Amino acid sequence: MLKCKDVVTKADALVDGTPLTLSERIALRIHLLMCHQCRRYVRQLRALLSTLPRETDRLDDAQTRGILEKLDTSRDP
Amino acid sequence: MDPALESPQFIERLRQGDQAAFGQVVKVHHNMLLATARTLLSAADAEEAVQDAWIAAHRAIAKFEGRSLLRTWLTRIVINQARMMLRKGGREIQFNLIDERAPLDHRFRDDGHWDHPPQHWDLNGPDALLTRDELRHCMEKTLGKMPDNQRLVLELRDLQGMDFDGICNMLDVSASNVRVLLHRARARLFELVDHFQETGEC
Repeated sequence: MLKCKDVVTKADALVDGTPLTLSERIALRIHLLMCHQCRRYVRQLRALLSTLPRETDRLDDAQTRGILEKLDTSRDP
Repeated sequence: MDPALESPQFIERLRQGDQAAFGQVVKVHHNMLLATARTLLSAADAEEAVQDAWIAAHRAIAKFEGRSLLRTWLTRIVINQARMMLRKGGREIQFNLIDERAPLDHRFRDDGHWDHPPQHWDLNGPDALLTRDELRHCMEKTLGKMPDNQRLVLELRDLQGMDFDGICNMLDVSASNVRVLLHRARARLFELVDHFQETGEC
């Protein structure tokens, strides 16, 4: 029987969609059906990871030019 | 990720030395690469490492064979630059696992069941826990204090969405070590949010 502590370790694979073996999947599913505390852990972990700050801002043209200019001056003679 | 910047046609333009295409790559990827470098270096050193990485990438782009994503290739160059700078300062990033107690371990009884189970987090509504500014602030602090190996793996996997194989190859670390580092990083964050829910403090 899977313990809560093991579920917390396996929860990463679950939220990542990493393939688990059939027996692992069944054991996890049974545990989660019966244990609301672990269900809560998995649900909240998913929510947490989906709100982490992601760096998606692009540089503006001036900043981009700044970087490209330094490429030119550092070119090998 | 921007699929247009990974297309074979675009990569070919880059390889031919198309400067406009290279500019496009800088524009889209720079901040993400900076965030990666920041997990290992100070703000000023990270800027320098990424600028040096652009110079290295610009020189080597004709030899980029497209066996990995362009984004992965660039990230690898940045990490190498960052490691070089660390070495200059006599530091090194370690990926072997130190014997650290998993951050949530103390919340279980000896028989492996919850002793101190997770709080219920208020995930919905206008004042939803995870969107609150005080908590975001606490998260920034926790991210800043995290061991750099955990922070880097978290950055690549959960903030930038890279796949496991890419991360393992890039860092030359086994999949099992990457998983343990990622688990520790996530558990730290979980612990922080749970503590905040319970006490209203970091």
